[in-house]
Amino acid sequence: MDAWWQCEVPYPYVEKGVLDSAEAVRASLPNRWCDPRVAANLFAETIDEYLLCDDLGVNIGVTEHHAGINSLIGSNPMMVGILARQTRKARILSLGTLISLRREPVRVAEEYATADVISHGRLEIGFVKSGGSEFASANANPVGNVERYWEAIDLIGKALTHQDGPFSWEGKHFTHRHVNIWPRPWQERIRMWAATGDPHTAAEVGRRGMVHTLVLRGIDGTRRAYAAYRAARAEAGMPPVASDHFAYSAFVHVGDTDAEGQAGGEKQLWFLNTSLKTGPQMAHLMPGVAPPRIAGPGWRTRPNGAADAPSLVNAEKGVASAERNAAKLTSITVEQAMAQGIMFAGNPNSVVAQVERFHEAVGGFGHLTMVGRTGFMTHAESEKSIRLFGKEVLPRLKEIAPVMPEAVG
Amino acid sequence: MAGVSSPRVDRAKVGDCDLEIVRGGSGRAILFLHGFHPLAPDARFLERLATAGAVLAPSHPGFGGSPRPGDFETVYDLVHLYRAFIDGLPDDKVTLVGASFGGWLAAEIAVSCSRRLDRLVLVDALGIKLGDRETADILDIFNTHPNTVRRRSWHDPERNAPDFDALPDEALTRHARDRDALCLYGWEPYMYNPRLARWLGHIAVPTLVLWGERDRIVAPGYGRGYAALIPGARFELIEGAGHHPEIERPDALAVRILDFLAR
Repeated sequence: MDAWWQCEVPYPYVEKGVLDSAEAVRASLPNRWCDPRVAANLFAETIDEYLLCDDLGVNIGVTEHHAGINSLIGSNPMMVGILARQTRKARILSLGTLISLRREPVRVAEEYATADVISHGRLEIGFVKSGGSEFASANANPVGNVERYWEAIDLIGKALTHQDGPFSWEGKHFTHRHVNIWPRPWQERIRMWAATGDPHTAAEVGRRGMVHTLVLRGIDGTRRAYAAYRAARAEAGMPPVASDHFAYSAFVHVGDTDAEGQAGGEKQLWFLNTSLKTGPQMAHLMPGVAPPRIAGPGWRTRPNGAADAPSLVNAEKGVASAERNAAKLTSITVEQAMAQGIMFAGNPNSVVAQVERFHEAVGGFGHLTMVGRTGFMTHAESEKSIRLFGKEVLPRLKEIAPVMPEAVG
Repeated sequence: MAGVSSPRVDRAKVGDCDLEIVRGGSGRAILFLHGFHPLAPDARFLERLATAGAVLAPSHPGFGGSPRPGDFETVYDLVHLYRAFIDGLPDDKVTLVGASFGGWLAAEIAVSCSRRLDRLVLVDALGIKLGDRETADILDIFNTHPNTVRRRSWHDPERNAPDFDALPDEALTRHARDRDALCLYGWEPYMYNPRLARWLGHIAVPTLVLWGERDRIVAPGYGRGYAALIPGARFELIEGAGHHPEIERPDALAVRILDFLAR
């Protein structure tokens, strides 16, 4: 198994009273609450943490979110470009540019190709569907998002591999008559990832043979999504893939003791209990986030029985189609998070055991993508966890070999 | 169509579009294009309109009970759909009434085929850009908290706004589906066509522009500006109404329209 560390560069230093009285902590919170000096320090510390990962043989990942306290990385390729130069060995996973929010996929391909060249071929490209308040921040239509997502991926994929001069793209969502990027990427084929929990998209990720990553989905959701991936390949008559095509993303914090590791985990819950707050119009009432049959009852302000309650949850983006489900995540405890498999925390032995247990329960995965520093965790705490992970956890995870494919019934 | 009296739900076929349509009344054809949501078949406003002619109130593709063809996703498609619908009517002339989003469609249609219309009525119509680049004319109903949208939509929200807690699942599903379609058609530029204002001067048909006095989705001043761009258009306010006079003040609205049609 391989491991990837990431920090979203959250900005937790806004007075609680401001956050409590704000309708949302994403998209609408005035940026006067973001002190650029504090932000500069956060970026400096985070980049140092990435460099520490590089020293310890831990790969790194970079996400993207817009206009909120949950993350200051609004420009993924910029951070990836910095790390391409600053690191020396680590593979760098962009997870990813929120591609359906960008108007010019060709420009994104140029940015990725540049980062791949600067890093001498260490780039991996992940695509995330985006959601919630990100649509408002990017002025991107939430309806038709998935269709735009795949077309952008197709265009970027072609721009990164086409070497025979300008080609023309006249698609439904993007037109570009003269595509010919320089430099071309260092790698002939850059491995591509996609993060999605919904079975429909997971099936397409499977048919494309991308690395499929699940973010904070727990055992059942992860198993279901991996199964949709495998089933889609089988139905299309494609060969099965080993577990190195699957990844899982969870909070990870390692301490000398279980108590220390879990105390770090407690701090990471800030991501769920504070940074997801958003108005209903940018969550479950946003057009296109769920089929009308599921989204409709979300307009009720009072629950009306359990049978028809929507059940779509997307913790990563703060999109939950029911207040009830959102509440479940925002009030979660460390014990519950660990029990659900969205957090691996404790001393090195415990973390290895938790990852192994999850790995077993979902039928294997080849990459652990770790949500590392978040909330009020300090630079020192984060570095300590990275060191313990790199020295005492990663070598044992590396021994977990890819699970070879089983026949799909 | 003759002989139909109280409005009822029917279907209409226009090319490959299968439309849910409310029909009522008889006589001159009155095509009503709805706003954010179709009106209920028993809506008072449709009943009143039907006293003056044969009312045709289709649900736009993607709204109500009208399916949306997969490749049908812009206002351009809607405008051509309704032009084809009008072309298929036996009447020489059609009276066109459009509210809110449907007012945008009505204005587009009037610009391009005035000769098939005898009257145009716009009610709290969207569709053009009047303010400066840093002043939105139309409240963003997608990015604004639903409580704010509710407050600004209605003169009397307590009395007139829908009570979602009281609606059955089926109605809520329609509500969500309508919003998906509206978002698809109107997301960007938000609820207007940057080219439309330029062409409103070509509308060569008597036009009445009516506006809810308390509309805070798009203010009466916008309506005055809209009317000023249409040659000879009259502008009038509807008291006690917000963005949806056809629901809040159906009689007052219908009286103004019927009076206009009788001239």
